[in-house]
Amino acid sequence: MTPIQLALLIFGVMLFLMVVRVPIAGAMFIAGAVGFVLQSGVSPFLNFINNLAFARLANYDLSVIPLFILMGHFATQGGISKALFQFAASVMGRFKGGLAMGAVLACAAFGAICGSSVATAATITGVALPEMKRHGYSGRLATGTLAAGGTLGILIPPSVPLVIYAILTEQNIAKLFAAAMLPGIIAMVGYMIAIAIYVRVVPGQAPESEEVEKLTFESLKGILPIATIFIIVFGGIYAGFFTPTEGAAVGATSTFVAALLKRELTWAKFLECFHATALSSAMIFMIFMGADVMNASLARTQVPGQLAEMVVAMNLAPLMVVSGILLLYVVLGAVMDELSMLLLTIPIFFPIIMKLDFGMTPEHTAIWFGIMVLMTVGFGMLAPPVGLNVYVVNGMAKDVPLSESYKGIMPFLISDTVRTLLLLFFPGISLFLIQYLT
Amino acid sequence: MMFSNALERLARLCSILGGLLMTALMLMTCYSLIGRNVFDTALIGDFELTGIGSGAAIAFFMPLCQFKRDNIIVDFFTANRSAAFNHKLDRFGDLLMTVIFFLLAWRSGTAAINARESLGASMLLGFPDWIVFTSMCIPFALTAFIAAMQTLSKFNPEEASA
Repeated sequence: MTPIQLALLIFGVMLFLMVVRVPIAGAMFIAGAVGFVLQSGVSPFLNFINNLAFARLANYDLSVIPLFILMGHFATQGGISKALFQFAASVMGRFKGGLAMGAVLACAAFGAICGSSVATAATITGVALPEMKRHGYSGRLATGTLAAGGTLGILIPPSVPLVIYAILTEQNIAKLFAAAMLPGIIAMVGYMIAIAIYVRVVPGQAPESEEVEKLTFESLKGILPIATIFIIVFGGIYAGFFTPTEGAAVGATSTFVAALLKRELTWAKFLECFHATALSSAMIFMIFMGADVMNASLARTQVPGQLAEMVVAMNLAPLMVVSGILLLYVVLGAVMDELSMLLLTIPIFFPIIMKLDFGMTPEHTAIWFGIMVLMTVGFGMLAPPVGLNVYVVNGMAKDVPLSESYKGIMPFLISDTVRTLLLLFFPGISLFLIQYLT
Repeated sequence: MMFSNALERLARLCSILGGLLMTALMLMTCYSLIGRNVFDTALIGDFELTGIGSGAAIAFFMPLCQFKRDNIIVDFFTANRSAAFNHKLDRFGDLLMTVIFFLLAWRSGTAAINARESLGASMLLGFPDWIVFTSMCIPFALTAFIAAMQTLSKFNPEEASA
């Protein structure tokens, strides 16, 4: 078999297994294993497996992922979200559609201590959806807002996909987090503008006026724990007191303490934090191992490297190549989960990007591309037919048809598109905060 | 599914063990940070322990994930098929997961034996590698067993509609 046929076979096996509901991690693992054994034989493959779990699981840089996940679940179970939403609602209450904007603000604030979009969506939905219903918001707007707001969990640091990008491309996590800050805030404002326009253009989606508690000194307490934790974690990382992994440990500890002070963390909820952390961490690291086998096998065919050279030799405009890759991500993200997509494609695409000249330093190019990739991941969490966030929020709403929720996210997808184009043509937005870091 | 209750308890116990381990690492890191930044007394090799410990913890997280079938699948292409048909496909997936976790458990076990003979250890603390491999081998074996039982499970309409 020629290398190209082999690479196609590996991809074919993976796609077939994915279509017949084999877990994506397993599909990558098996397809990679088949390719590996065909090229190198059984015993080199077995030797490769010897060290696979050790190298991936017992890895200091990657331990930041379960720590940030644990932190997110402490925040979810710790009763921080209710007071946070009340605060956010009273800030935005004066505007039409204010409760929906408040939900977006609450998602953004929660995203500052949670690195997962599904966890953010689920947590804020738990406190915001009943309130929005009570005030007469349509199921369409309410679920759309919360599904879109949830993506702020990954757009605003900490962010699990960004950590994975940093590790795959050997970039500085702290710098990537700083780069994501402004785009994250732009995303939040963009969602609020989308709501403001939507409630005016489409009648009957939001109440004409809503009774929301006034912003008082007392309600400021709602944002206090999160603000404190965020300042400690990111202040500490940027002041050089600790590494991102240590920051995650500090963040998890302080969130744990905040939850204890709220007196909402019962023993049962504490154990629930462990179970939830177990499920998301195991799922992520299984994908890591599957992608490792797949990538090792593909690398042996040398096709990814040749592909990169071919693209570079075509002498396309660099911006066209990036746009092409991002478009591919949007299409792939529609049927595939975003993590596996990154793990499979970044090793192939990143070398291509680094060979193109964008008029920036290699580090800036890498950081900017990371932010662009993150945007498409957020997009994929919402876009039909398989937007994970939409499923989660819609599942919690129970009485809203899925098609209504998908209609509800359209304004936010438009906002996403505008923002992505903005960041694509103006890399300076992502790189602005980096210059203040040493 | 055979032994469903016992396996669920074991899987949950494993995830609690892993969670407690992560909590311990989290507290140790804070202790080390306070020592380093306030009292100028560094805890040597704390990052090694964090890496090794979270490796074991993540391995202990695997059984629950498999038990709950929480690994991400693409259900876009089969969403319109009957629950019974999809259950058959899921059992095929479980079979492949059995093979994968059997491989992982077997090779981690082999690596543990090798590391014990070659006295492999971590750089700073000299923490023996075979303990790390063994702490992964055990939960992987349990995960393989859970996946095997899922492969043999019969279709239960009540479970499917729940």
